[in-house]
Amino acid sequence: MNSNNEHPTKDYGDHPGHRWHGGRLARTQEESIDELLELIWTLREKGVTDIHSLLQNTSDPEARAVLNHMMREGLFEMDGDILRFKEKGEALAEGIVRRHRLTERLLMELFEMSEEEAEKEACKLEHILSPAVTDSVCSFLGHPPVCPHGKPIPQGGCCKKLTREMKPLIHPLNDLALGQEGRVVFISTRVKGRLEPLGSFGVIPGVVIQLKQRHPSFIIQIGETSIALDESIGREIFVKPV
Amino acid sequence: MKPITPTQDTSKTSSPAKVILVGNPNVGKSVIFNYLTGTYRIVSNYPGTTVEVSSGKAKGGDSSYTILDTPGVNNLIPNSEDEKVTRDILMSENNYSVIHVLDAKNLRRGLLIALQLIEMELPLVLVLNMMDEAKSRGIAVNLKVIREIFGLPVVSAVATRKKGLEQLIPTLKDSPRSTFSFKYSEPIEAGIACLIPLLPPAPISKRSLALMLLAGDESLRAWLEERLDSQELARIETHCSQYQRNFQEPLSYRINVERLEKIDQLLIPIQTKQANSVQGWGRRLGEWSTHRVWGFLGMLAVLFISYEIIGVLGAGISVDFLGKTVFGGYINPFLTGMVKGIIPFPLIQDLLVGPYGIFTMALTYALALILPIVGFFFLIFGFLEDSGYLPRLAVMSNRVFKIMGLNGKAVLPMILGLGCDTMATMTTRILESRKDKIIVTLLLALGIPCSAQLAVIFGMLAGFPAWIFIAWALIIFGVILLVGFLAGKLIPGENTSFILELPPLRWPQMKNILIKTLSRIEWYLQEAVPLFILGTLILFVLDKTGVMTSLGKWFRPLVVHWLGLPVESTSSFIIGFLRRDYGAAGFFSLAQKGLLTHNQVLVALVTITLFVPCIANFFVIIKERGWKMALVIVGVVVVIALLVGGMVNWVLKVWA
Repeated sequence: MNSNNEHPTKDYGDHPGHRWHGGRLARTQEESIDELLELIWTLREKGVTDIHSLLQNTSDPEARAVLNHMMREGLFEMDGDILRFKEKGEALAEGIVRRHRLTERLLMELFEMSEEEAEKEACKLEHILSPAVTDSVCSFLGHPPVCPHGKPIPQGGCCKKLTREMKPLIHPLNDLALGQEGRVVFISTRVKGRLEPLGSFGVIPGVVIQLKQRHPSFIIQIGETSIALDESIGREIFVKPV
Repeated sequence: MKPITPTQDTSKTSSPAKVILVGNPNVGKSVIFNYLTGTYRIVSNYPGTTVEVSSGKAKGGDSSYTILDTPGVNNLIPNSEDEKVTRDILMSENNYSVIHVLDAKNLRRGLLIALQLIEMELPLVLVLNMMDEAKSRGIAVNLKVIREIFGLPVVSAVATRKKGLEQLIPTLKDSPRSTFSFKYSEPIEAGIACLIPLLPPAPISKRSLALMLLAGDESLRAWLEERLDSQELARIETHCSQYQRNFQEPLSYRINVERLEKIDQLLIPIQTKQANSVQGWGRRLGEWSTHRVWGFLGMLAVLFISYEIIGVLGAGISVDFLGKTVFGGYINPFLTGMVKGIIPFPLIQDLLVGPYGIFTMALTYALALILPIVGFFFLIFGFLEDSGYLPRLAVMSNRVFKIMGLNGKAVLPMILGLGCDTMATMTTRILESRKDKIIVTLLLALGIPCSAQLAVIFGMLAGFPAWIFIAWALIIFGVILLVGFLAGKLIPGENTSFILELPPLRWPQMKNILIKTLSRIEWYLQEAVPLFILGTLILFVLDKTGVMTSLGKWFRPLVVHWLGLPVESTSSFIIGFLRRDYGAAGFFSLAQKGLLTHNQVLVALVTITLFVPCIANFFVIIKERGWKMALVIVGVVVVIALLVGGMVNWVLKVWA
């Protein structure tokens, strides 16, 4: 986990997410804390919250010591064997998971890195991305709801505002030229019940769709299937032209 | 081979084995069904729905089968009523095997269903239909690989030319369960593992049931309630909502994505595509049919041809022939003579063959006027349905419906309403939100004349100048738009989105259309004839007791002063409560007697077109929307009808 001991980046102290320790801790410990927070979060997603499973799943030999330190810092509390985040720890863990999964998404989908490479890079970047950069990446990607492995990406402030100021490599389906094809990168909708019918027709991230018509309704083609849809739905399907 | 269990044994000897046909829409299920069952079949609506389900018998060697055709599905986690019906059939039948029909050129979507059927651990045969179309589009499919991956029999077919179908029956004999299985991502698998121990036994595997529940399938609730107590149910619900909380996307979508990703992987060795896809006439026509200019012209052409067939051939020639020649010339004089000869009491004579007689009014009306019109309407509707044109109408009209807070899908019940508003009100179920359903139900009740009423209106207008017809059409259209717009603003709820598949246009199978039309006519007669008789009886009683005359007095101010119509027309409004066309027919006879001026014709037609829905429609509104909403709708409709009718009257007066 600490394979990046020799990593040259130095500005950890600037990271507001780490303000709580006042810059007293060594870098490696700070990162082990991040790793443990992340692990607690991902285990909790699977419904696992006890300390024994946590210890089994970590490769950090110092885990017990770090955990003790974390508890003193008020990141979580113990309820018997069950480990429960306190507010501070929850927020920190959420931030780390968000940075990790957004990075994965960026690296795999836009830079077309392999899963392994992306995972490795994401493990490093999750510790150093500032909130501003994180939100920019998130906006740039169009506030994706899940990472490439299908795990949820916690929302940030930018998701609630749905800003899209960056000039994207990917853009809404509506911006394709007639007859042009695009690969769906993600679908970002806040409308309940909209994803399911699209999914049933096979419109999911990764597929290539072609824009066939704009008026009087949008018509897209995916494989041998033609689907008519509202302009407003086309605006929520983000594609990378191919 | 698996050992034969006692249940399978009895099912083989006592009753024919059950086979359920499943597949995406438009993959040729009905053609295969026709091939297997021959001509005899039962078409029925699935209980509580307008979704048609056919069943029939097939013979193969020494065994016979009951074949069940299900509505087309895109997913077995239901998003629509059709999908729910198919899923419910799979959940309620026992000891059956499934023939899954896939479109060979659209394997990805077919396999999405196949994967779910495999998960259900059902005995399964795959039929890859339309192999010829796949080939002509440069798609090569490797059947051997499919057989190996899934461990299932795979039949390659071109159903319309009966190619390959002869292999189907022999494979049914012992259709295996697939050996294929695949894992979802960890959080979903964890959810499945938690749910399985809580589930009751079902004809499909618990794993598939757990996945449906994780997907938040509300429609399963009723099924579970029958089998579990409230405590167990609550536990399942907490589990499901807990797992959903881990995801921002709906879990159903997540599950779907993982299935499709698996399928995309599987497809690599199964399917190879070449770029030389051929533009067939069907495809080109399909593209023109939604073009902003050609599509619009095409739509006008379709409407014109439909009018020629339903209006001219049906409402004109056939009604004339049946009404004047068959009933007027032979049947009614014969019945009148017979009744008067046998029954000496004038009251009963009148009841049977008088002006409000059961034979002379109700049955003549139902069989000579309604039957040909409705018959031709359903024939055209069936043709449009099977050719794949109806969704194109939705595309062309989406913008107009957006004005009313609806989307293009609403055009389907509206068009069906031109045939029968009662049936159309039932099909509002294809719409997604409560808001959409209320608006369409209201507009159907208010402004969409059914084919019977249209026929009377056209018949009546034939004798008057064209401006009356144009004014009538514009006023009705304007009222529908305005009321729809206001309803869209006033009724709370989000506007729903428009997502609709456009199936390829194709020349339909005439046999299929005929069968559909006949079963719909049958439904219509069963529904309408008793109401005709009831309505006629009520009129008969009102007439004989003199109530009709006093009602006329009460409503005189409204009818005579506000609407400016002759006092005799009151009875038309009263019978308008029973059937829309009855009311119009009352005005028709007044017009024929020369009792109406041009202006009065327009006022009368506008008012009676907008006036209350028929009794059958009213009952269906109650059933679908509840008592309160039904009364509100009828109240709104009566007020709008009288208001608009009166306004037309006064505007015409001021004009002159």
